[in-house]
Amino acid sequence: MINRTFLGMATLSLLLLSGCGQPVPGMGSGSGNVYDTDTVSIDESGSGSSAYNSSSDGFQSLYFDFDSYTITGGMESTIAKDAAVAQRSGTRKIRIEGNCDEFGTDEYNYALGLKRAKAVKDALRMQGVPASRMVMISYGESNPACSAATDACYAQNRRVDLRLAK
Amino acid sequence: MDATLTIEKDVEQRARIGLEDGSAIPSEKLFHLLLSDLKISGHFLVDETRYEGSFEGALLDPALKSQEYVLKYTMSQSRGTKLSIKLIRASDSTQLFKKSYAIASTAKMPFLVHKAVYDINKALKYPDIGWINRYVVFSRYTTPRHSEIVLADYTFTYQKAIIRGGLNLFPKWADARQRSFYYTSYRGLMPTLYRLNIYTGAKSKIASSEGMMVCSDVSRDGKKLLLTMAPTGQPDIYELDLTTGTKSRVTRFNGIDVNGKYVDDESRMVFVSNRLGYANIFKKDIHGSAVSQVVYHGRNNNAVDAYGSKIVYASRESSSAFGNNTFNLYLTSTDDTSTRPLTTTGSNQFPRFSSDGTVVLYIKQSDSGSSIGYINLQSKQSILFPLGTSKIQAIDW
Repeated sequence: MINRTFLGMATLSLLLLSGCGQPVPGMGSGSGNVYDTDTVSIDESGSGSSAYNSSSDGFQSLYFDFDSYTITGGMESTIAKDAAVAQRSGTRKIRIEGNCDEFGTDEYNYALGLKRAKAVKDALRMQGVPASRMVMISYGESNPACSAATDACYAQNRRVDLRLAK
Repeated sequence: MDATLTIEKDVEQRARIGLEDGSAIPSEKLFHLLLSDLKISGHFLVDETRYEGSFEGALLDPALKSQEYVLKYTMSQSRGTKLSIKLIRASDSTQLFKKSYAIASTAKMPFLVHKAVYDINKALKYPDIGWINRYVVFSRYTTPRHSEIVLADYTFTYQKAIIRGGLNLFPKWADARQRSFYYTSYRGLMPTLYRLNIYTGAKSKIASSEGMMVCSDVSRDGKKLLLTMAPTGQPDIYELDLTTGTKSRVTRFNGIDVNGKYVDDESRMVFVSNRLGYANIFKKDIHGSAVSQVVYHGRNNNAVDAYGSKIVYASRESSSAFGNNTFNLYLTSTDDTSTRPLTTTGSNQFPRFSSDGTVVLYIKQSDSGSSIGYINLQSKQSILFPLGTSKIQAIDW
């Protein structure tokens, strides 16, 4: 839903802006008076993704070490179980969601989450799950399962969740 | 190059200025905005006492006679915001500049103040401080998998959520005039980059990618973008030519390459990569293959911004994997000159240059919450504004 409200003289303000060295957001500066142009407001509340923070549809999540996207020996049994769930679910697409703890900054954390998802995808492919059935997405640090400031809590957030695509 | 600490002499060439409020209802908020603006401009030494007096005439409080300039002002917010200012030379009470401003919104009052200080600065023929008028756009998390994208003035006194709900991330200004920004929407199956006009609401889809999609930088003419995306599941940097629609892959590395920023004449970029086993800053020609390391210190250098040949980056300087790590900001350049620290304590991240490269914005975390900080690279002055407890996801200025 877009709410557009124009207060004052929007067109005039744009004309006045063109004369400035550095435009003022939504303002013009002519002989002293200043006019404002309001900005839109967009509400996407109804379109947000569901707040899953664990695996569903019978899949189990996989947990990673700090700043790591390496599949370790301890993950093999979970990978095998997830591959079996994937085989039982016919041809439906599987979402593989990479997540991170809160340490790290914007882009790097999203890439780290993606590398974790990619590592799980590759491991499932080795177990016979067709690559074409798997879709990856990184949620970076946006989808914590736990918010306490403890090492155990941070470890729960360095994970990959799996579920069937809706 | 290694980081070296440079101790620079503080050469006081700033003009001494005092403030006198002539408003019917004096405003502490207005005073602090003026104080902040004048300080961070780098051109004024401001008397931090708030004087009150009549706006009319050039009569000055005797205590202000020792200043070079006095800024008299009056504001009313009964219907919108009206602000009038006079700049007076203290020695002979000569009026040097006078202007009135009005805006229909009371919330946008900070922009009026910034514009007034911009005009005073210009009237005195000081170097341009146009960055003071600009919007800051940022995304912040609200709940798991939900965020909002917010417009703010540089002090964060004015804030307006422009996109609420959903998961919308990585806002990046699309044009120098700040009429549109790019952002990543998680509404569909794949992260998708959109361009949104903030005044008309017109939205256009730019690109999408499995896994992740980020607009890291926009060329000066607005015609090319550096994207971090993963069409094959591998996060690499691509350049998108908006005129032709052509995407070209700039990095090919089986690890993490992100955060591409144009440098010099935009035929090169700096970026963050873990190709040495930890996040660090590298540079390469956009169309070449050779990659060279830019930074040779720090345990984890995972954020970078650039303006021309200037580079600013965040460097982790403590060894704890978790908790309160020390992150400091450093300024360096592509032409192998020295590197100097911009911060020395605390956790300082998300560095962003101003539109003219003279000021650096950053986020400082402390036990009492987070703040948005600014460092004027020429005057070495810095200033912090509280952000509260909200967690910033990405920011652009």
